[in-house]
Amino acid sequence: MQQEIVIETRNLTKIYRDFWGRQKVHALKALDLEIRKGEIFGLLGPNGSGKTTTLKLLLGLLFPTSGQALVLGRDATDVTKNERIGYLPEETYLYRFLNAVETLDFYGRLFNIPTALRRQRIADLIDVVGLNWAKRRQLKEYSKGMARRIGLAQALINDPELILLDEPTTGLDPISSRDMKDLILKLRDMGKTIVMCSHLLADVEDVCDRVGILYQGELKELGRVDTLLKMHDMTEIRASGLTKEAQEEIKQVIERHGGQLVSVGTPTTTLEELFLKVIRQSEAHPGRRVRGAGVEAGVSDGR
Amino acid sequence: MVVENPVPPFSSWIGLASLTWLLVVLGVALAGLLLGFLIALLRHGPARAVRLTGRAIAGAVEDLVRMSPRRVWALASLAFREAVRRKVLVGFLVFVVILLFASWFLDPDSDEPARLYMSFVLTASSYPLLLLVLLLSVFSIPADIRSRTLHTVVTKPVRPSEIVLGRMLGFTLLGTALLAVMAIISYVFVVRGLAHTHSLAAENLRPVTQVHLAPGAAQPMVGETDKVHGHKHTVRIDSAGNARVEPKRRHWHEIFVEQTAGGTKYRIGPEQGSLRARVPIYGKLSFRDREGFDAKEGISVGYEWTYRSYIQGGSPAAAIWTFERLRPEMFRDHVPVELNLEVFRTHKGNMERQVLGSLGVRNPDTGLFVSVTNFQSNEFLSDEERAIQPLSIPLLMVRKKVAGIDVIQRKSKTPEGGVALSPNDPHRLKEAQDLRSQLKEEDAVDLFRDVVTRDGRMEIWVQCVEPGQYFGAAQADLYLPAPDASFMLNFLVKGYLGIWLQMLLVIGFGVMFSTFLSGPVAMIATIGALVGGLFKPFMVKLATGEQIGGGPIEALIRLVQQQNLVSELAPTLGAEVAQSLDVVYRVGLRGMAAVLPSFGDFSYANFVADGFNIGANTLLVHGVEALAYFVPVFVAGYLFMKMREVAR
Repeated sequence: MQQEIVIETRNLTKIYRDFWGRQKVHALKALDLEIRKGEIFGLLGPNGSGKTTTLKLLLGLLFPTSGQALVLGRDATDVTKNERIGYLPEETYLYRFLNAVETLDFYGRLFNIPTALRRQRIADLIDVVGLNWAKRRQLKEYSKGMARRIGLAQALINDPELILLDEPTTGLDPISSRDMKDLILKLRDMGKTIVMCSHLLADVEDVCDRVGILYQGELKELGRVDTLLKMHDMTEIRASGLTKEAQEEIKQVIERHGGQLVSVGTPTTTLEELFLKVIRQSEAHPGRRVRGAGVEAGVSDGR
Repeated sequence: MVVENPVPPFSSWIGLASLTWLLVVLGVALAGLLLGFLIALLRHGPARAVRLTGRAIAGAVEDLVRMSPRRVWALASLAFREAVRRKVLVGFLVFVVILLFASWFLDPDSDEPARLYMSFVLTASSYPLLLLVLLLSVFSIPADIRSRTLHTVVTKPVRPSEIVLGRMLGFTLLGTALLAVMAIISYVFVVRGLAHTHSLAAENLRPVTQVHLAPGAAQPMVGETDKVHGHKHTVRIDSAGNARVEPKRRHWHEIFVEQTAGGTKYRIGPEQGSLRARVPIYGKLSFRDREGFDAKEGISVGYEWTYRSYIQGGSPAAAIWTFERLRPEMFRDHVPVELNLEVFRTHKGNMERQVLGSLGVRNPDTGLFVSVTNFQSNEFLSDEERAIQPLSIPLLMVRKKVAGIDVIQRKSKTPEGGVALSPNDPHRLKEAQDLRSQLKEEDAVDLFRDVVTRDGRMEIWVQCVEPGQYFGAAQADLYLPAPDASFMLNFLVKGYLGIWLQMLLVIGFGVMFSTFLSGPVAMIATIGALVGGLFKPFMVKLATGEQIGGGPIEALIRLVQQQNLVSELAPTLGAEVAQSLDVVYRVGLRGMAAVLPSFGDFSYANFVADGFNIGANTLLVHGVEALAYFVPVFVAGYLFMKMREVAR
């Protein structure tokens, strides 16, 4: 069944001009994009490729030079669409003189959320992002990771249908980064649509259903992550408990069938997995040095 | 007190003012719309330009009408909190520090300490406050845009109108709170700074000599108190034993005489009368020239400052104040008159000697004129002189006590060259003539029956008696004092309301400019708009051609050719081109003068310091005027904010 379109851009173009109207940068060239309800869409691209420009055009922070962007069926410059949108900016642009509760209260008021509901949501969100211990501290005392978390909380204060995240994991330590990614997946499971842009490819790969790759303002690639990444002429076999002889035999079988063996070896885990494993074990047994975590992780994970 | 720009009555002002306002606002709005349409036309072609313009109008109306008070309040309290947490209260500390050390510099020995103290505290509270709100309002939105905190706000369902109004409201609240505290501190400072008393020892009194004493009467005494705050008071004790402290430096004291075993003791009470809020009833001033014809103005004696107009002594020339709506219940047994004329002498003689003048009242309908009294005036009239010999018009003027009763017809020249007389009704004239001739020595003229008309009109005539000397008069120079209003209310509320209105304008213009200019530029623009407003009367004079010397190009020609301002330029082609270019400049200047607020008018420091009540009419007119600026400035700020790409 065709799902509801949440974001649609038609021929969306942005040219930055100087004061005299002279063209300076062609930031986005005729972008045509459709994002459907309930998916996590990743916008990828190197610095200056137009990711953030696209996001800002979708939010109405910039006006398109030509073309149109429709968000939740309304023009991107229409403020009423913001009722159903949450936005986490690239860096956490929040008022540094407010504390966490005041921050969420202020943004909650901008949505005209009734007082009782607002209080409830603030308490819930501070819990979700794990800032209960620092909720009365002014944001200027926050670390970058804490600021990201409160930034995410403010993006969720209105229980939005569409969430736009600009570099959501930048500046986060691996644990927070994993928490963030888990939260993104959870939000998707709750039926929300998420658009994120990032240049941390691993993160995008971890969470996104579909990605678009931008380069110099043009959309170069668009599709499902699993389809895009699938290497159609390759086969991967992973097995445990094989002897040298058994491996040799398998090689011969491959050769016999005309296949070409690319590599055989002991797989390694990702550094992220190792790190998380070490931290989790340290938390479970404080004071003890964690040994052999990598081997265990590699074996047990089996990826 | 000098009142250069009297505030017109609200009822007669509001009609023309609102029409002008409407025209200016519509003109500016249409010009803006046309400009926007032309730009859209060039960029997108006619069909889309029409559509875009229509959408812009509809969007603007929606944004302004559908503002959410809760969101505005959230943004306002954020602005308030931001200002407080960014320690702007330092500005307030500056004020406190100024006051702490003020007593080092404020001279309590000055002739008018109350004036000095009050004008000082009003200035000391207005400048730091206005500077503070100026800085807050011009730097706030640009700082939010630079730090991109605004991105997080505008991606919420917040309309640009709410952002602009929220700022304006937040800073107004902060300024109001600061101003209220400043007002209370200032009040305490003034009251405490002026409070003093004197003491009088019985041995400092000496008998008044050359007085013929009635049998059994006590000896009148005179003496001086000790010197406090740089002055002494003369104390007089009359033959009935009543003691009186004579006024000095705009105040007086009560004195209590106590008989004790050790002799008579005198106790002098706290100072009174320096903190007043006089309520003047002003009349409308017109003149009579030396031939006895009505004139709009008197003679110019050559001063650049044309505030006062002069009447020649020893001639029929007179300054005539016409009062309206006078009622008997407003006065008890006399109509007090306060007068402060300027004297211009063509021959000096004895400078100490005052110039003699006469004061009369006239019925404008019948022409009955009663010459009430003579008075003396110097270049200025000191308080002591006024207090000792106050001018007043008795409600019943006994025939033999007044200098003369007459019937005077006022003469004016008609445009046809003839002479018009007023009153011209023979019946009315006869009525006055009859009254005049019937009055016997003991009979009295009843002011409200014979001189004041049924609808409460009366003329007060001031003439200079001495030939060769001149009196200078302006409308505010003569008034009838009504009972004083509350000084506390006048100082604390009304005086500071003027600063509050100024603050409102600063915030309005500051926030409006900051929606499309960077902080420092917005600051200069705001200061420019408000300082430009101070020169509004001059701009209007230049624009209407009332100012001699022409526009800037004509003035430049005169400057280069070393010509005076009065003579006509030689009718060359160059001169004509210059004058036509100046016409364009004048139209522009007229437009600018119409848009700029007359910022200085909102300061009531003179009223409060001179001890005059600020009338409800003044507050009403200025309140409406400030609002009339605030609303379009807010709308303009909203439009600039709306057109702005926040993320650029």
